[in-house]
Amino acid sequence: MAYYVNRNVKLTFWEKIYIPEIIRGMIITSRHFFSNLFGFIPFLAGKKDRKIFTVYYPEEMVEYPIAYRGRPVLAINEKGNFNCVACGLCEAACPAYCIDITPGCNSGKQNELERFPDKFSIDYAICIFCGNCEEACPEEAIFMSNDCEISMLDRRKMKYNKEQLSTPISELKDRVEFVRNMNAKWNFRN
Amino acid sequence: MLLDFGITLLKVLFILGVTVGFFAPILTWVERKQSAIMQDRIGANRADILGFRALGLFHIMADGLKMFTKEDFIPRGANPVLHTLSPIVALIPAIITFAVVPFGGVYEIFGKQVNLVIADLDVGILFVFAIASIATYGYVIAGWSSNNNWSLLGSMRTTAQMISYEVTMGLTIIGVLMVYESMKLTEIGAAQESFFHWGVFMQPLGFIMFLTASIAENKRIPFDAPEAESELVAGYFTEYSGLKFGMFFMAEFIEMVTISAIVTILFFGAWHIPFIGTATLFSLFDFLGTTGSNIVVMLIHVGVFFTKVVFFIWFQMTIRWTLPRFRYDQIMDLGWKILLPLSLANIFVTGFILI
Repeated sequence: MAYYVNRNVKLTFWEKIYIPEIIRGMIITSRHFFSNLFGFIPFLAGKKDRKIFTVYYPEEMVEYPIAYRGRPVLAINEKGNFNCVACGLCEAACPAYCIDITPGCNSGKQNELERFPDKFSIDYAICIFCGNCEEACPEEAIFMSNDCEISMLDRRKMKYNKEQLSTPISELKDRVEFVRNMNAKWNFRN
Repeated sequence: MLLDFGITLLKVLFILGVTVGFFAPILTWVERKQSAIMQDRIGANRADILGFRALGLFHIMADGLKMFTKEDFIPRGANPVLHTLSPIVALIPAIITFAVVPFGGVYEIFGKQVNLVIADLDVGILFVFAIASIATYGYVIAGWSSNNNWSLLGSMRTTAQMISYEVTMGLTIIGVLMVYESMKLTEIGAAQESFFHWGVFMQPLGFIMFLTASIAENKRIPFDAPEAESELVAGYFTEYSGLKFGMFFMAEFIEMVTISAIVTILFFGAWHIPFIGTATLFSLFDFLGTTGSNIVVMLIHVGVFFTKVVFFIWFQMTIRWTLPRFRYDQIMDLGWKILLPLSLANIFVTGFILI
C-alpha cells in the first residue's frame, strides 16, 4: 500500500531552532542507555525492569508458529511405512518442479504395500516453500516442517532422497491438525 | 637538556599510548556496545577466549587480527602510490594534533617545572586547525586514487563539507580567543580555574556551534554525507581493505578524542574541577611535601581531564546514534546560512560585551 508523505509540514519556531528537539531525542536515547546499562551488565546490580529480547540464535531457538512453512518432509506412519502412495499430485502441484517421484512396483505378494514411492526426492535448492504439495496431497503424506536450517556448501547435497526426507508422523502431529483444519475450512474432502 | 628530552619522550609515549593504544581500539568496542545498549540490544559479545567473553572486549583483538590478515586490495586503474599514501595522510594529522593539547597544568616535581603538554606553541589553537585541515588531503586523495565513482563522490562531498565547516570553526574560536586573550591552549586552560569562567558560560553559543562544526569535520552522523552507507557504499574508503581501512577507521576515532579534548580545553575548564581550585587541592595534599603533593595533584588533574574527554566521547556517540543524517543541501544550508552568520554575530556580541 502506497502511503502519502506530507512533505510540507509546518514546523513551529521551537522545532525550527532544532536544538531543543535534539535535546529531547537525546534524553530519550540516554534514558534507554542508562536504564539498560544497569540491566545488562551483571556485576552492577541494578534494577532490571526491561526484558532482554535478544535470542542467542544457534544456542537458543524461538518457537515457530504452527503455520510456519519450513522444508517439506515425508511422513512415516505408525507402522513404519510411508503414507505416500506415489500418486504424483504433489509433483504436478509443485510450481518449481523440485519434487521427483518414481512409483514403486508391487510384486503381487500378500501383506505388501499396494502403492509406494520407489524414489522420492525434493531439491531444496529449487523449492520455494509454497506449501502447494501439502495442500495437494490426498493421503496426508507430505508436510511442511518447521525446519528452515538447510544451508550447505555443495548444491548437489540439497537434493534430499526418500530416506533423508522421512519423518515420523508423531513429530508432525500439530501440523497434521493444522492442515486438516485448513482443508476443512476450504471444503476440501480429505 | 637530556632530562627535558626524557620528559618530552615520556609525554609523547603517554599521549600515543592513550590515543592509539587505548582510545582508538576501545572506541570500536564502545561504539558497538553503546549503540546496542541504547537500542535495547546486547551487542558484540561472541568473540571468546576459552569461553570467557569479557563483555565482548575480545572483539577488539579479533578485529585487529582480521585487519592484519586481510588482503590489501588495490583496484585496477587505481594509483597505487596515492592509494597507499592517503590513509597515512588521514591518520597522522589526527595524532599530531595532540602535540599541542595540554592534559594538565604546570607542576613542580623534584625542583623541575613539568608542563603537561608536548609542545607549548604560542599559536596552539591555530596549529590544531592547520594540521587538522591537512587530513582533508588524505580523504580527497583517497577518493580520487581509488578509481571508483562512489569514492570520488564521497571525497568531493568531504571537501565541500570540510571547507564549509572549517570557516565556522575558525570564526567560533575567535570568540574564545577574545575572552581569554591568548592563543596558547595551556593559557586558555589555566584561565578557566573558577567554575563560572568556563568557556560554556562565557561563550554558550560558541560552544554549540563549535561542537556542531567539529562533528561535521569528523564526518560522523548527522553529518556523514561523505561516507553515507545508504547512498555511497562507504564514501571515500569504499575501495580500501585490511589495515588501510583500519587506518581510516582509527583516524576517525582519534579525531573524536581530539575534538573532545579541544572542546574540554576551550569550553569545559580543561583539567580543573568545578568549585575546587588548584590552590585548594594543593593545600589538601600539603602533608606530602612539595613533590608529593604536586604528583598527586597532577594525577588528579590528568584524571579529571580524561574524565571530561570520555564524557564528550559519550556525548558524541549519543548524538551519532540519536540523530538521522542530514540531506546534503541541508548540510550546506546549515553551514553557510545559519552557522556562519551566527558565528560572525557571536564575535560582534562578544566584542561589544568586552568593550
